[in-house]
Amino acid sequence: MPDTVIDSYKDQMERLAGSLPGWDSARAHAFDRLKNVGLPTTRSEDWRYSDIKSLRKVAFDPMQAPEATPDVPAALSDVAARLVFINGQYQEDLSDLGDLWQAASVRPLANHLMANTDRVTELNQGGDGVNLLNTALMRDGFVLSIPAGVEIDDPVEILHISSGANNAAAHIRHLVEMGEGASATVLERFVGDDSSYWVNSFLQARVTEGATLNHIRLQEEGPNATHTATAVVSVGAGGNYHATNISLGGLLSRFEARVRLLVDEANATVDGVALAGTGESHDMLVHVDHRMPNTTSDQIFRTVADARGKSSFQGKVTVAVGAQQVNADQSFKALLLDRTAEANAKPELEIFADDVKCSHGATVGELDDKALFYLTSRGIDPTTARQMLVEAFTDDAFDRTGSESLAEAIRSRVANWMLGHTVKEKVADD
Amino acid sequence: MAGTQETHDQVAEITGDYKYGFVTDVDMDMAPKGLSEDIVRFISAKKEEPEWLLDWRLKAYRAWLKMEEPDWAKVSYPKIDYNDIYYYAAPKSQDKPKSLDEVDPELLRTYEKLGIPLAEQEVLAGVEGARKIAVDAVFDSVSVATTFREELKKAGVVFMSISEAVHEHPELVQKYLGTVVPQRDNYFAALNCAVFSDGTFVYIPKGVRCPMELSTYFRINAENTGQFERTLIVADEGSYVSYLEGCTAPMRDENQLHAAVVELVALDDAEIKYSTVQNWYPGDKDGKGGIYNFVTKRALCKGKNSKVSWTQVETGSAVTWKYPSCVLAGEGSVGEFYSVAVTNNLQQADTGTKMIHMAPGTRSTIISKGISAGRSQNSYRGLVKVLSGAENVRNYTQCDSLLVSSESGAHTVPYIEVKNPTAQIEHEATTSKISEDQMFYCRARGLDEEEAVAMIVNGFCKEVMQHLPMEFAVEAQKLLGISLEGSVG
Repeated sequence: MPDTVIDSYKDQMERLAGSLPGWDSARAHAFDRLKNVGLPTTRSEDWRYSDIKSLRKVAFDPMQAPEATPDVPAALSDVAARLVFINGQYQEDLSDLGDLWQAASVRPLANHLMANTDRVTELNQGGDGVNLLNTALMRDGFVLSIPAGVEIDDPVEILHISSGANNAAAHIRHLVEMGEGASATVLERFVGDDSSYWVNSFLQARVTEGATLNHIRLQEEGPNATHTATAVVSVGAGGNYHATNISLGGLLSRFEARVRLLVDEANATVDGVALAGTGESHDMLVHVDHRMPNTTSDQIFRTVADARGKSSFQGKVTVAVGAQQVNADQSFKALLLDRTAEANAKPELEIFADDVKCSHGATVGELDDKALFYLTSRGIDPTTARQMLVEAFTDDAFDRTGSESLAEAIRSRVANWMLGHTVKEKVADD
Repeated sequence: MAGTQETHDQVAEITGDYKYGFVTDVDMDMAPKGLSEDIVRFISAKKEEPEWLLDWRLKAYRAWLKMEEPDWAKVSYPKIDYNDIYYYAAPKSQDKPKSLDEVDPELLRTYEKLGIPLAEQEVLAGVEGARKIAVDAVFDSVSVATTFREELKKAGVVFMSISEAVHEHPELVQKYLGTVVPQRDNYFAALNCAVFSDGTFVYIPKGVRCPMELSTYFRINAENTGQFERTLIVADEGSYVSYLEGCTAPMRDENQLHAAVVELVALDDAEIKYSTVQNWYPGDKDGKGGIYNFVTKRALCKGKNSKVSWTQVETGSAVTWKYPSCVLAGEGSVGEFYSVAVTNNLQQADTGTKMIHMAPGTRSTIISKGISAGRSQNSYRGLVKVLSGAENVRNYTQCDSLLVSSESGAHTVPYIEVKNPTAQIEHEATTSKISEDQMFYCRARGLDEEEAVAMIVNGFCKEVMQHLPMEFAVEAQKLLGISLEGSVG
């Protein structure tokens, strides 16, 4: 990384001094480490399928408020609350906390740190170069704490809009804390215009005893965007973490989930779908770390790639010494729609205990001609038939969103993507 | 039940420790310890090599100096001092023996003890109808004997040590040496290119089906030596050869380095079947001693419809770093990899394969079985890569791990990289332990725990074992039992 890039990030960091109470030394420390490790390259194993050359070459400015307020898309379903961020900054007037504030604590990161200066250490300060840059440059985010026993039925939507932000970046940090036995659904949604911006998001979640967190990420960034996201989650006894990631937009996107199952009976399911349109690259990584006995995990990933599209998946399951009676499954399937499409997979098992049942399966292929023939022979036109098959292919990964209306909204987006990106072209080719 | 009785007998036959751990006392001709250009020149001069080969070695040595030892494998071992190794050790003999009668009887006794018949008549005098196997015996740095040469010559098959081949068939060696594994391929391959001492060369001419199995038996004997053998097998159009490789070493407290390179070339419609039973000394129960087995094995399926099949049973070595691979460059060529890797005590194995699909219609199958016992670490690491021009590629991969102890580790690291939509790639992996039901069933039928484990493990490995030639399969089954000894209870 050229020194000028690093230096300008240092300037940016210094300008943020005092903006988040108690955070300045964490910024400085992260920056020092970033200087040593740099932003990741494809030589680093976790980044081998995501080449962020463009991010290493030039420094991205901090995103500014856009000249005109962009359109705010309607919510996808009934929501318990809606938090809107534009160009990385919270918009109080566009947000709607509903009744959520009565049942739970929901406040901006700055307020949280102001009220609890001793809780600075709870925020994650490690990770790779992209995470370190987030630590050094983060400006805003939300802290959502659901008290013990409280169940929030409708999703809490966090909407991120990027607009008119050429060569600018937003480093966002959210913190979700689930009290004992609490349950909630958090939807993170990302949209944007066609400027060449970078969203670098980091979500931390703590799921304590018996709690359930449904974490849905709907990534619909603009066509020239770079999207890097990390979720770091710890799950306690009998706790459940269900993540569903949908990568639909952006030129290059990468989502990494690091889940630690810390106590007996903790469970995690991490699912994902990536639809790589023309020239796009979508990368998804999961690391589920079974630290304790009797923990379970399951992963279902489906990817589809069109012309020059690239979909990648790295899923790792670690079972620690003595973590007996662990069950872990993983399924990855990739579909290639064009001869210039590419799929990469690395399903990895690292097991240090003997009484475990772990498995993974991975397949890569194209649409089944026989199935297509079957459908068309029953009077379904080829366009619809292809659409049906691709939808059926991705559908397994939406079963655990925890919200039927959200799952429906996601399905219709997948169907649209098929229609817009691939089916028409394919039929034209035929 | 015949099957049960057979397993029972094999287990009963197991006497305990590593039984090939003896040392042969012969006069040795050694190069001075350490590695330098002079040593490379020394080895080359000892073998009276032509100028081009010396240059080739020196080029590799200079490249090696600039390379770094790989650290990505899931193995750990103390840093190797490459200057504390003898790079050349040969049994002292007056002249090159012209027949077996002239070979040092001490050496012959060694191979007899290992169960490797070097005297041709012995094979003939064996059980009626027994298949003949031609053997090239490599003792430390040199080949000491090659059997059945005359008979093979009649069929046109060239089977000799690579240092002889350099003199007798320079055109073939020069044409193919280093074409599959280039000098700079990796750290250990570069080292091998610089100091390789001996190994086997096989050439099967057009349309010839090799009349017998070919085999090389590697033996490390001398102390503080590294063994750097190099094997090159070329199967010309329409030919077939089955090649076996076996290896043992004495029990020593120090670790010894074995960095081999194996290159296979299969032309149009040729088939090579390469089987390995790797039984280097694995070290003792506390992880003291044992061989570092850092091997580069690669096959180039150069011709149309050529086929290479790797079968390996890995039971020995303290540390294994080995990925027999196939570059499927010929249209319709086929690569296969069948592997059983057993680790016990403190052994570490990081092994797997690469299948590089470059041409249309290429197919590959990978079956890998890993068994971890004791405090060992066993990793499968593999790559299936489909390039964009390779239409209609098919791959099936299955890797299963069996954990026999709660302190061992089993890891699976497969890479799948596909750039062509017509490819059909399937990958399955499981990790589990021997189920209590299976154990109970066996115990209820009177098998003790160790016998039951050996039987279940043999069943677990069956899909791989059936690809081994008969003689090897029996030996391999016994080895599995020995390797797992003491791992139960």
